[in-house]
Amino acid sequence: MTDFIDRLRAIVGERGLVTDEPGKLPYLSDWRENYLGAALAIVRPASTEEVAAVVRLCLEHGVAVVPQGGNTGMMGGGTPHRDGREIVLSLNRMNRILEVDPIGYTMTVEAGVVLKTIQDTAAQHDRLFPLSLGAEGSCTIGGNLSTNAGGVQVLKFGNARQLVLGIEVVTPQGKVWNGLRALKKDNTGYDLRDLYLGAEGTLGIITRAVLKLWPKPKDVATSWIAVPSPEAAVALLSSANAASEDNVTSCELMGRQGIDFVLRHVPGATDPLAERHDWYVLLEWSSTRPRRSGANDTGLSEKMEAYLGEALEQGLVLDAAPAQNEAQARAFWAMRENHSEAQKKEGPSIKHDISVSVSKLPAFIEDGLAAMKRVLPDCRPVPFGHVGDGNLHFNCQSPPGWDKPRFMAYAEPISHAVYDIVVGYGGSISAEHGIGQVKVDELAHYRSQVELDTMRTIKRALDPRNLMNPGKVVRV
Amino acid sequence: MPDTVITPAIPTVPVTPAVLEALRGIVGERGLILDEPGKEPYVRDWRGSLIGTAAVVVRPANTDEVSKVVRLCHEHGIAIVPQGGNTGLMGGATPWPTHSGILLSLTRMNHVLEVDPVGYSMTVEAGCILQTLQETAASHDRFFPLSLGAQGSCVIGGNLSTNAGGVQVLRYGNARNLVLGLEVVLPNGDVWDGLRSLKKDNTGYDLKHLFMGAEGTLGIITKAVLKLWPAPKDVATAWLAIRDPQAAIEILSEAHAASEDNVGSCELMSRACTDMVLRHIPGTQDPLKADTPWFLMLEWSSSRPRQDGAEGMAEKMEQFLADQMEAGRVLDAVIAQNEAQARNMWFIRESVAPASRAEGPGLSYDVSVAISKVPAFIAQGITAATDILPSIRPYPLGHIGDGNIHFSFMGPVGMDRETLRQYTPAITRAVNDLVRDMAGSISAEHGIGIEKIDELAHYRSKVELDTMRAIKRALDPKNIMNPGKILRL
Repeated sequence: MTDFIDRLRAIVGERGLVTDEPGKLPYLSDWRENYLGAALAIVRPASTEEVAAVVRLCLEHGVAVVPQGGNTGMMGGGTPHRDGREIVLSLNRMNRILEVDPIGYTMTVEAGVVLKTIQDTAAQHDRLFPLSLGAEGSCTIGGNLSTNAGGVQVLKFGNARQLVLGIEVVTPQGKVWNGLRALKKDNTGYDLRDLYLGAEGTLGIITRAVLKLWPKPKDVATSWIAVPSPEAAVALLSSANAASEDNVTSCELMGRQGIDFVLRHVPGATDPLAERHDWYVLLEWSSTRPRRSGANDTGLSEKMEAYLGEALEQGLVLDAAPAQNEAQARAFWAMRENHSEAQKKEGPSIKHDISVSVSKLPAFIEDGLAAMKRVLPDCRPVPFGHVGDGNLHFNCQSPPGWDKPRFMAYAEPISHAVYDIVVGYGGSISAEHGIGQVKVDELAHYRSQVELDTMRTIKRALDPRNLMNPGKVVRV
Repeated sequence: MPDTVITPAIPTVPVTPAVLEALRGIVGERGLILDEPGKEPYVRDWRGSLIGTAAVVVRPANTDEVSKVVRLCHEHGIAIVPQGGNTGLMGGATPWPTHSGILLSLTRMNHVLEVDPVGYSMTVEAGCILQTLQETAASHDRFFPLSLGAQGSCVIGGNLSTNAGGVQVLRYGNARNLVLGLEVVLPNGDVWDGLRSLKKDNTGYDLKHLFMGAEGTLGIITKAVLKLWPAPKDVATAWLAIRDPQAAIEILSEAHAASEDNVGSCELMSRACTDMVLRHIPGTQDPLKADTPWFLMLEWSSSRPRQDGAEGMAEKMEQFLADQMEAGRVLDAVIAQNEAQARNMWFIRESVAPASRAEGPGLSYDVSVAISKVPAFIAQGITAATDILPSIRPYPLGHIGDGNIHFSFMGPVGMDRETLRQYTPAITRAVNDLVRDMAGSISAEHGIGIEKIDELAHYRSKVELDTMRAIKRALDPKNIMNPGKILRL
């Protein structure tokens, strides 16, 4: 093995190799610290050529490679196994923005660029890169693409895979596939790009990408809305499309339980509405057309207010607070984004990242809540999520005062009860977060034999020696 | 067949009388076509330029029958050519002349299974005609945006298998972006039920995208869940005389904000295109009597109905065009005052293909480059072609917002097809070399099929071709599913 390490060093240099235990540690554990793995070394190549050389060397030695971006995944996809026979290949030194083309609305980047840096770079050119999620300050674009990340702008712009024109990939054979095409249309054979996107590094390593850019929003309207039911939220969204001239960017649903937790645990949080309601929607519209002065030109906030007035009359809305300024809009968003933190402070919880088709969302919520209560009557469900995507974080908080071990005994029955209902509604057991190592068995349980076999066939064909992030997504 | 193409190795297992009986047992008499005149429309492509053979045309009525037919063929190693509306341009659905197997037509599977207006989705069988789907969506006050010349006869299964493009790609994306889920019969006859109507589903490899655009070489799409959009209620269409292609790109770049992100279409046409249409197509009128070399058709649409007193799309566009004229990009412009005028503009755009056929022999390349490279590509491409044949007559047009150019040429005046054909290989090489040098695509919309199999092999890297072959061999080890299309194994 010293020979192997020496040869790694020869490829990536001293700076690109971490072999001491304290140095390796941050790469061996996921950020939630649920998993701790081991590795021969952490290898940090500085270029695509170095990545390819490392992969070829690993192939020669039969050493498995765990690709890793910002290490912010939720499913342990970037965490090595415990046997210590793999290397972690971190892309975090490949962090250059290679080209910005504002006229062509594209940006070419290396895989290790932090998402926030990409957003900021786009903004400097009066453009928008719409991918936006909690970990944006530390996650990297390579990981975002490998996991097909979601976030709060999916409704209008789509998942990560919709934000990409081309990618460069180092294959399990250590060859470089240059699919770095800045093309909106390219019907030349199989769509390899979409195969690598979302494959969680099991079919190859994404090293560069051409990203799509959009015009920067110039007029934004945000409201905090109490609705009578999830059904009303779906109806509200459906009619909001036309009212906003197809400019709905976010539509987030929250139940009262989550709001109570945020108000209890997050300093400075205040209820935007005077009365308590069971369900809330955070609605945001945005347009790239700047507001103009002049009486006959209505901006988005006027349009939204008129629309909410009508919805109030129809009974779809019980009460609403339109944000009067940016600070207020940020406060509304903080209510939504602090759900995870507030849940952590409240105590143990179980998380489910599920999706169903939008029109089935209300019925699913009703059945899902009942199912959790059947398993543990005192549990406190915390449903919230992206209505427009049919994607809910269908979480479950322990009964008050319970410690983690006591509650975790119920984790599996509660999750299975929820997933059974998800599958019954034709839904997905992992809408955003992927499979990684956490959900390998769940996927195997809920997906058809045909689908699993097809995935395995592809994995075996492209990575016959099973050295690329083995044991993640699907067992070969 | 293209002159240079050598037939690839494909399975030669015949359909025996016993297999034929088994097929009859599966699909019944109604689902079989055995006589030559009956088979003819299926084994030739719609332009009549490719003619193949098939032992039998099989027309299953449902997924179960497709599955049983494929399983039977798999057992015997018999090749299958899946076919939709048979409107493809690359021969992807036409059997090779050496084909000894079956042609499987999806046209009997033409039911709309479910429309969910609240969830903005529609579940359909593969053989539904595109226009039927557009109309079904409209009858629910929804919009299915895929729109292209062949929409009255092409079917959705073919659209998805070829990842069709069309005139609404700028706003809504290619066919693959309009789909939530698929059902596919795999090369061994198994049915993959990926008919999920989910906007988000990160559970393993994206099989859906692999089957779309694979031109039936990895399996047969039998059903799909399509995405729907709100129906447009306020549409503004304009015909612009513009300075040059660079101006077109700049106009589009600024149109996003001015329209509040409601640019639906942006089609560039050279004067040669419009002249040809006005010359050959009865009933067309020049929307703008401007003596300029480039035109742009711009359409904005919103699902918000015009409201009294408030600014509609047309008013916004008028303001925008005034600004663009001041900037010197737009030389003259007219906004359609009614639907008839808008239809006339669209009719001119869509008549370029028929007009070119009336004009005489020509060449056309369906290419794409990054949007900002479109002007340089047009200029250099015309030079490259006229260097080879100085009197050739370029008439470029395209979906500029997609970077997709139909880079087309009429032969020199008076030159016959045979003479023009002598120049074709050199011009093709020059154009496609330029596409490669500009990191573009040699087939933006139309796919590979039979026609471009060798061009693809020439221009794509070995890594890419090997990866595609590895996938094909893994999923279809007997090479029975549309063999000899896209790739040689």
